[in-house]
Amino acid sequence: MSARATRHPAPILSARDIVNRFGRQEVHDRVSLDVIPGEIVGIVGGSGSGKSVLLKTMTGLHRPDSGEVLIDGKPIGSIGAAEKASLIGVLFQQGALFSSLSVAQNVMLPMREHTDLPAKEQESIAAMKLELAGLTGDSAIKVPSQLSGGMVKRAALARALALDPKILFLDEPTSDLDPLTAGGIDSLIAKLNESLGLTVVIVTHDLTTLFTICRRVAVLVDGKITVDTVDRLMRSDQPWIHAFLHGPRARGALSARRQKHGNG
Amino acid sequence: MQQPTAQLSASTLAIHGEGDRLALDGVLDIRTLSQASKALRRWLDKRRGGRARRALDLDKLSGLDTTGALFLWRLGEQGVELTGVREEHQALFGLIGGLEHQPLRKPASLPRWRQLVIHLGKAADEAWHDTYDVIAFVGRATNALGYALAHPRYLRLPSISRQIAETGIDALPIIGLMAIMISVVIGYQGVAQLRPYGGEEFTINLVAVSMLREMGVLITAIMVAGRSGSAFAAEIGVMKAREEIDALNVMGMDAMNVLVVPRLIGLIITLPLLTFFSDIMGLLGGAMISQSLLHVSPVQYVDRVHHALAGGDLAVGLIKAPIFGFLIAVIGCMHGLRVKGSAASVGHETTRAVVAAIFVVIVLDALFSVLFEKLGL
Ligand SMILES: Nc1ncnc2c1ncn2[C@@H]1O[C@H](COP(=O)(O)OP(=O)(O)O)[C@@H](O)[C@H]1O
Ligand SMILES: [Mg+2]
Repeated sequence: MSARATRHPAPILSARDIVNRFGRQEVHDRVSLDVIPGEIVGIVGGSGSGKSVLLKTMTGLHRPDSGEVLIDGKPIGSIGAAEKASLIGVLFQQGALFSSLSVAQNVMLPMREHTDLPAKEQESIAAMKLELAGLTGDSAIKVPSQLSGGMVKRAALARALALDPKILFLDEPTSDLDPLTAGGIDSLIAKLNESLGLTVVIVTHDLTTLFTICRRVAVLVDGKITVDTVDRLMRSDQPWIHAFLHGPRARGALSARRQKHGNG
Repeated sequence: MQQPTAQLSASTLAIHGEGDRLALDGVLDIRTLSQASKALRRWLDKRRGGRARRALDLDKLSGLDTTGALFLWRLGEQGVELTGVREEHQALFGLIGGLEHQPLRKPASLPRWRQLVIHLGKAADEAWHDTYDVIAFVGRATNALGYALAHPRYLRLPSISRQIAETGIDALPIIGLMAIMISVVIGYQGVAQLRPYGGEEFTINLVAVSMLREMGVLITAIMVAGRSGSAFAAEIGVMKAREEIDALNVMGMDAMNVLVVPRLIGLIITLPLLTFFSDIMGLLGGAMISQSLLHVSPVQYVDRVHHALAGGDLAVGLIKAPIFGFLIAVIGCMHGLRVKGSAASVGHETTRAVVAAIFVVIVLDALFSVLFEKLGL
């Protein structure tokens, strides 16, 4: 499936032959995906095609009916809780912020649990993460129920980054955001990827995200996965992929891609 | 459960050099930060008087994350010269250096005594609002209930039958068991207390009358308050927190009609039935006690109970049941609708619903006892 994986011998994350069923519905039919350290992989597919379930499987939250997930060569089930916390960060589709904690406390929670940094230090780190994610000022002391949908996403992103994980999983990070902010999140992800070598797996419908920052894209159609670069997927004749990448919405995104690649 | 930090400190950092020039060697990330910050703070404090500019060499720094970069950037701000920054870390410093670094805003903090005064004031104000809310809610609920009963088209029968199944049928085993236990307890105490007077036969009267008049309805109501009052509050509370109530509203459906009324009707129907069931089970417990302690056979027992009970005893117990049912449902739903957003708030309101429901049931039962006594029932 992914020819690349053979060229790069050590994937940081590798899902092998994942099968997921809910009752009679087969969501994944032997899905495999290898992610190399430092790359940004996009996962796309129609609504209900199993993107979130795949993400849950790769983060060890959902046990697949068969198949295995390896992180750094180790089965995800065998990785200890603290180590897992420092390896992966997850931005859930609904944010999943702790509703009884303020935004800043949400970001500091993993630090409080897993490090012995003094409170002052944690606060300044939390402020930095929140600013990176684009939240400043009063929003830090608000509780999740007082936030807008987009702010929830950013706070959740800041929390996912709290321990500077090696792999960042994002479930539709830009879906609740206005285009400008979405662009900001895209460029933040790209910057973190460049400066930290952060590996990122993004579930998204946002074509601009796909075209501008994703090195490879995994497409889920009918329980099967196709992984390739955007350029080669553009030439695919699989009906769903063709429709997705050549629809009316794709054009604007394509021009964004040309702009970016033109600049550098 | 788990060792919090043990596994996290896999990456290592060493600090070399002396005097005004130090060098970092290894990985500076969130795991090694506290070590680095302790060592370097000492160094900074000691050197405060020194003339020479302090320098930190980063050439051997193999790993750096945003947290480490923030720390180094702040050192830079404090006048430490950072030398030998690797090419691959430049972008990260650029990213961190480009931020505004405003301190985290904190909620305004007040001295303790003022917090206490404010807390007291708030509690008093809340108590007043609570009372008002309960009365207003009872009024609105009664209104909605009356309307639904007058317009059977608005009765949501599937919803009501679900409530009856969940609050009634599912509760049968536990309530039956409780009733038997309570009558056994009363029976034992009765025999022990009445035997010195030679009146242990009257234990049967004691058990039968007290189960039917008071204990049957009381334990049923308390059990239902704990089971269903809490379920109402939590269920409606989570719906409120997830904006499902708002969704109902914009679709032109009132939470009062859709959620509260079926629960009210459900409990008004089930509580008397459960009470009756618990009375029967209580009498059954009485039969068991009579058999084993007094050697009264079941047939004799039925005869004795028949003589012991006046016509009103069963009615006195049952008449209270629908009223308790109404109040338990109203209190549960009201607290559910008062939830605000957070999971903690759901827990808080659920607790309050159960406590308030049990309190009201017991107070009201005491008042009923006095009332029935005065009426000679
Ligand atoms: N816990 C579950 N139980 C049953 N079916 C589920 C469960 N979670 C997801 N599904 C089903 O799996 C499919 C994929 O869901 P999901 O991964 O959430 O879709 P999406 O690609 O839009 O994120 C959907 O058809 C959904 O109904
Ligand atoms: Mg999804």
